[in-house]
Amino acid sequence: MTHATSRPDGLPDFRNPPLNEVVLGVQFSPVKGYQQIYAGEVWNLFKPEYPQVQEMPPLAPEFETFGLSSPSAKINLVTGAAHDRFWFLTSTGDELIQFQHDRLLHNWRKVGDETNPYPRFEAMLDRFRSELGKLQAYMAAFSKPALAITQCEVSYINHIDVDSSRVADWLRFASFTNEPDDFALNFRQVIRDKEGRPSARFNCEAATGMKSGNRQTIVLTLSVRGAPNGPEIDSALDFVTSGRNVIVSRFAELTTDFAHEKWERIK
Amino acid sequence: MISTGASKVSYLPERPNIARRLLIEPNSFAWQDAAVARLEELVRLEKGWDGYSASPVSLANAAFALQMLEVICGVDSAPPQIVPGFEGDLQIEWHTLKGDVELHVKAPNDVHAWRFDCEGGAEEELDLRNDFLVAAQWVNEVSEHPIAFAAAAA
Repeated sequence: MTHATSRPDGLPDFRNPPLNEVVLGVQFSPVKGYQQIYAGEVWNLFKPEYPQVQEMPPLAPEFETFGLSSPSAKINLVTGAAHDRFWFLTSTGDELIQFQHDRLLHNWRKVGDETNPYPRFEAMLDRFRSELGKLQAYMAAFSKPALAITQCEVSYINHIDVDSSRVADWLRFASFTNEPDDFALNFRQVIRDKEGRPSARFNCEAATGMKSGNRQTIVLTLSVRGAPNGPEIDSALDFVTSGRNVIVSRFAELTTDFAHEKWERIK
Repeated sequence: MISTGASKVSYLPERPNIARRLLIEPNSFAWQDAAVARLEELVRLEKGWDGYSASPVSLANAAFALQMLEVICGVDSAPPQIVPGFEGDLQIEWHTLKGDVELHVKAPNDVHAWRFDCEGGAEEELDLRNDFLVAAQWVNEVSEHPIAFAAAAA
């Protein structure tokens, strides 16, 4: 079945947003019978559009859980015999698939002189849907159900060139009486469903950085992570779409009118 | 880190490196050390560890269990007992003079919770997904030093 995703009318929109990278991802239960030796066959599913490959260290399993307020300690378990993560890249490197035995992610990113256009979320989601479908069809040869999705994520990474301006000119939540030389802030918020039950978690990270040409930059990373309502692909894509809507709305709330003018807000 | 960072950024101040091995930040609690050590032991079990054909605890179940414990256990929580299951699953248990709590992690987002209240003699069972506030309350109620629960809930 072919889907065509459309953008919700009320969502804030910018002609020239400071987006540097967007990531859509799912985590699924390891498929019984699949072994790393088959990773080349998985690459073959995507090779016409993603002819380059790179090997990366694996991502540890992650799950959003809710209950007592926890300090978000990072604890990872590693067994030793971990599967690699593979990047399958387009010829220009601006889009890539990240694959490992329990993850599939689709990234768009700025490359080179950073003038490559953002394809927009809807186009990315349609590609991600197609890629998940291909992987599911491939994995079905090993066991069924092929992909039992346990966790979804959507992340928007913005690079805000601040030059000599104040942080508060750009971010509503970072106003300093005496401007710091540098900073790193992060906060998390539980997203609740209509019945008030926790359904996902919104994460905001902001940190100063320096890009080439000594350009001072704020890297603002907004993510939504959580479990989809069901383990199938459609539920995962619903989660990713809802997460994107949260991120875009929160981005508009967390940034200033001055910034919106610079980024040419149109809605 | 799922971002791929094609644009080079030097962070000011430098951000902490994300370790690929076991990493516990300095604010870890006492129960965490014991739970991590036990879970690492269980994911390394040999196939057939029970003398039959039991599987080791799956990494996904162990990781989920750890992230479940993070939102159940308070600062002073006693370490739970962690018992491997037959099919890569595991059970997490607290047993005190006040009562018993058992959480069976069948798979990520699929947990069967059971408790027994020694004072009232009542049993209760629930199926939980990723919201463990009720389980946190049960564990608090059977602990020797219960906390002011409402203030600690997220």
